[in-house]
Amino acid sequence: MHEFSVMDSLMRLILEHAKAGGIARVTRVRMVVGRLRGLDLRQLRGCFEILAEDTVAEGAELDIEAVAPAGCCRDCGEEFDIPDYTLRCPHCGGGQIDITRGRELHLASFDGTREPAAAAGQ
Amino acid sequence: MAGKRPSSREDRPLPGKEKTMCQSCGCGAGSKPEVETIKVLENLLAENDRLAGHVRHHFDDHGVFAINLMSSPGAGKTSLLEATIEALAGDIRIGVVEGDLETENDADRIRRHGVPAAQITTGVACHLDARMVHDALEALPLEDLDLVFVENVGNLVCPADFDVGTHANVVLLSVTEGDDKPEKYPVIFRVADLVMITKTDLLPYLEEFDPARAEASLAKVRGDGAPMRVSRKTGDGMDAWTGWLKAQVADHRKHHPKDGKAHTHAHHAHGDHEHGHHDHERGSAA
Repeated sequence: MHEFSVMDSLMRLILEHAKAGGIARVTRVRMVVGRLRGLDLRQLRGCFEILAEDTVAEGAELDIEAVAPAGCCRDCGEEFDIPDYTLRCPHCGGGQIDITRGRELHLASFDGTREPAAAAGQ
Repeated sequence: MAGKRPSSREDRPLPGKEKTMCQSCGCGAGSKPEVETIKVLENLLAENDRLAGHVRHHFDDHGVFAINLMSSPGAGKTSLLEATIEALAGDIRIGVVEGDLETENDADRIRRHGVPAAQITTGVACHLDARMVHDALEALPLEDLDLVFVENVGNLVCPADFDVGTHANVVLLSVTEGDDKPEKYPVIFRVADLVMITKTDLLPYLEEFDPARAEASLAKVRGDGAPMRVSRKTGDGMDAWTGWLKAQVADHRKHHPKDGKAHTHAHHAHGDHEHGHHDHERGSAA
């Protein structure tokens, strides 16, 4: 439900870095989202489209890398995938689990050109 | 659409596509613009997390322990706070930040107990963030308080991801909600430092809610450790809860004494949060 805040933050980062790097048109954006963030990927895309309108990122492709959750048992050190958020070690049954993957939420990188949209591809 | 294409000149690649160089002199004019990749690797909640750290500094400077209180709507957050204020009166000085989409109702309820309360109305936002709490704190006399509750917007989804600058997360699960809630909303129950089952006086009427099943559901997403059980109506469990609170406040006070020396960190240009605060935050993050 807070997909909009997340994408607003993403968009601000893109605009900031694009300006600093002299990028006039953003063509592709790569973000990483851990599944435990509870964010709906379809909504993220929708928000991105809306927020990118009338900016240098309008029309850019959005690549979302969704990271499957994984954990590590504090008792026996077993590392395992967490398919349904069951925080129970499949090896020793321990209940003290550290989440090692699935909480990611960042803008990895983006592609862009120094030519504005009107000049590119015409 | 097709008419715009130079289809009569099949030897020529489509403009801006395969063509990469000026045909006459190779100068690159009219070529496909060079695509650069900008590496960023920045967390999308970084700005909120920075501000949350700053809010925590505010609390620490005043020797105030702060709790982010979360639950679904109607689980009894405000009721629990009212009972807590009564139980700790004369012992621990409490202030409350109330978060709701609309109305000043909850802050009014708290103020009736003689306790300062700041109401945040988020409008459409489904959770509080560090900025809202930061701004609301200006209405609370932190120098006169020991413990601040931030009562988040009733919601089991979004508040879990937003650090609001408190020291501990407390999540309520009322017996009217169903004992499998923790598995349905694992993220928020996972971030809780303490889970409390509320309205336990209703248990005799709700055979659907089995506390043992609720505890098993909690263990599944949180690991071991039983939740507290509390009833505002009967007062059952209130001693354990207020005892926990006193211990948290005392422990925090060891590291952050209430010595009246407020704002020991650099904190200038108070009216200009965008800049005045960032200096300090970068300093502490480095």
